[in-house]
Amino acid sequence: MAALATRAAERLERFPGFLRANGFGIAGGDTVQVLQAAERTGILDQDVLRWSLKALLCRRGHEWRRFDELFDAWFLPANRWQRPEPRETTGDGAQSDAHPGGSREGERGGEDDVRPRRAASREEVLESADFSALAEREHALEIEALMRRFARQLKQIRVRREARTRRGRRLDLPGTIRRSVASGGTPFELRWRTPRRERPRLVLLIDVSRSMVLYSFFYLRLARALAHELDDVHSFIFHTHVTAVSQALHDADPWRARERMHLLAQGWAGGTRIGESLAQFNREHAPGLVHGRTAVLVLSDGYDTGDPQQLSRELAQLRRQARRLVWINPLSNCPGYAPTCQGMQAALPHLDLLAPGCDLASLRAVLPNLIDTLH
Amino acid sequence: MSASRPQEIAELQRALAGVGYIAEPSLAAALLLMRELERPLLLEGDAGVGKTEIAKALSGIHRTPLIRLQCYEGLDAHSAMYEWNYQRQLLAIKLLEHDERAGTKDLARREQDIFSERYLLKRPLLEAISGEQAPVLLIDEIDRADAAFEAYLLELLSDFQITIPELGTVRARSRPFVVITSNGTRELSDALRRRCLYQYIDYPDYDKELAIVRMKAPGAEAELAQQVVSFVQAVRRMELQKKPGIAETLDWTAALLRLGISTLDMGGAERILDTLSALIKTRDDRNAFPREVVARLAAAC
Repeated sequence: MAALATRAAERLERFPGFLRANGFGIAGGDTVQVLQAAERTGILDQDVLRWSLKALLCRRGHEWRRFDELFDAWFLPANRWQRPEPRETTGDGAQSDAHPGGSREGERGGEDDVRPRRAASREEVLESADFSALAEREHALEIEALMRRFARQLKQIRVRREARTRRGRRLDLPGTIRRSVASGGTPFELRWRTPRRERPRLVLLIDVSRSMVLYSFFYLRLARALAHELDDVHSFIFHTHVTAVSQALHDADPWRARERMHLLAQGWAGGTRIGESLAQFNREHAPGLVHGRTAVLVLSDGYDTGDPQQLSRELAQLRRQARRLVWINPLSNCPGYAPTCQGMQAALPHLDLLAPGCDLASLRAVLPNLIDTLH
Repeated sequence: MSASRPQEIAELQRALAGVGYIAEPSLAAALLLMRELERPLLLEGDAGVGKTEIAKALSGIHRTPLIRLQCYEGLDAHSAMYEWNYQRQLLAIKLLEHDERAGTKDLARREQDIFSERYLLKRPLLEAISGEQAPVLLIDEIDRADAAFEAYLLELLSDFQITIPELGTVRARSRPFVVITSNGTRELSDALRRRCLYQYIDYPDYDKELAIVRMKAPGAEAELAQQVVSFVQAVRRMELQKKPGIAETLDWTAALLRLGISTLDMGGAERILDTLSALIKTRDDRNAFPREVVARLAAAC
């Protein structure tokens, strides 16, 4: 019986590690928490254990949605969990898991399950285009530093402007009285209310289709640098659909960031359907993200294989919600370029600004003003 | 002990239903865990799925007060924790000045008095930890406050104590049940997430929503309630900017009842259109509901 208990505990103990291997944000102390929780809930009722661990180990919505599948994979014997309705078929799964025989079988099943998955992701890596420009070229570091400096300058500008626009000051009464206590209740020194800071927000939509392949690395790097220096920057990549990459870019470890980008970027350097991608963005991300102080930047060349009508419609909707809608087109610096392609034609009526963006200098001309308008 | 756990969950569900909240067993399991591990519960999900209601229901079943901290942009630590009542302090100083009989010994005592609890205004966070009985502390829409405030909160949530320089450290006499809600407009820090239990609340399915409507709008006939719920569920499946939440469903039911509509049918599309403003809240979404669409939806119910 004791052997059984240690077995079950061991299995539980390794569950957080399994989740971490599947991209969950699990910390070292969580194992202890899992054991504590299991002690209270017991391990015999599978659903109770599932619900408790779910509350304990999930941190985000997407983890929440994936948890059930991973729980099944880890705790149920291999031949059970893949059935179409795992919840219905697992009524006796927990019991068999608690028995020594069932447990061993389950263990094997769990690990078998991990390996093919890793192999599959490696294949995806091979399929997606080469990312080496993100960290391996010699001048990569230089560009990184340049971007950082640029982002920091943007921050400086913001702070300076904030200081300058402090017109119409208001007296901070509690502060003034507080200070007057030192001088026996006579307010010699006045205190002023600092104006309430409102957070401007930047949303970057980066086109990573094949035609943009020369620029998208550059833009991702920019997104990464901006996110480090400014508080509220959200980045998405799109080709035929939209993917949020802020989290992956934010990873402090550049190698891991690269790995995560690989996993995200299925369809990297493929075709473009801007209208559909924007529709998806409007549907899934915009309601919680785009507000009256948001600037939305679309970084794309406008070569679109989708429906220009849809593009026009979606941009119009974005325009209504955001403060500024800016399209940065890396090609528009080229001599003789005119925005004649279908995508750009559809987009033009809705834009606040169409700006070139093939190098840092042209971005320098756009971004400071943009951030300024958000206040 | 483990055998009784499912019973405990069922009991908690019953208790929650008793105060008007219908909870899934998974949520009940998380609430039990929250009570035992004394950890805050972080609730995420779309607006209008009943996140705030959970805190109210919790305070209902524990019969403890609900202390609510509504977060907003620019919320600072002082308006969330405590403030000195400066006006009263100033008044006290002035009175002291004019009180000439006071000796030096007396003065020192009175000076102490100025920074005592009498002049302290308790804001929600301090109030939550200073009660005898553990209250429910609801920190609503934390994603609206900025990251700096989140850091303040972390300190409170890990030690349950607040340091007031003039007065000393106030330790919690009883640990409050902390419920934090977020609409996901800003990514919360990992540090905060690590300290919390997590629940993602989705829109309710048909059965749950029907149970809610039957409970909250007892005036509606069974047939109408069923129709209302399947109508709303169909509306949620459409691509809208703002999907109706549970509150909207209840509002709409009330509106229908007020107009004396007892069943939804094809012919009643006009009257449904009149009440649709209780369900659909933006102009674009409203345009997605011309008469034919409403009639079709109503017929399908």
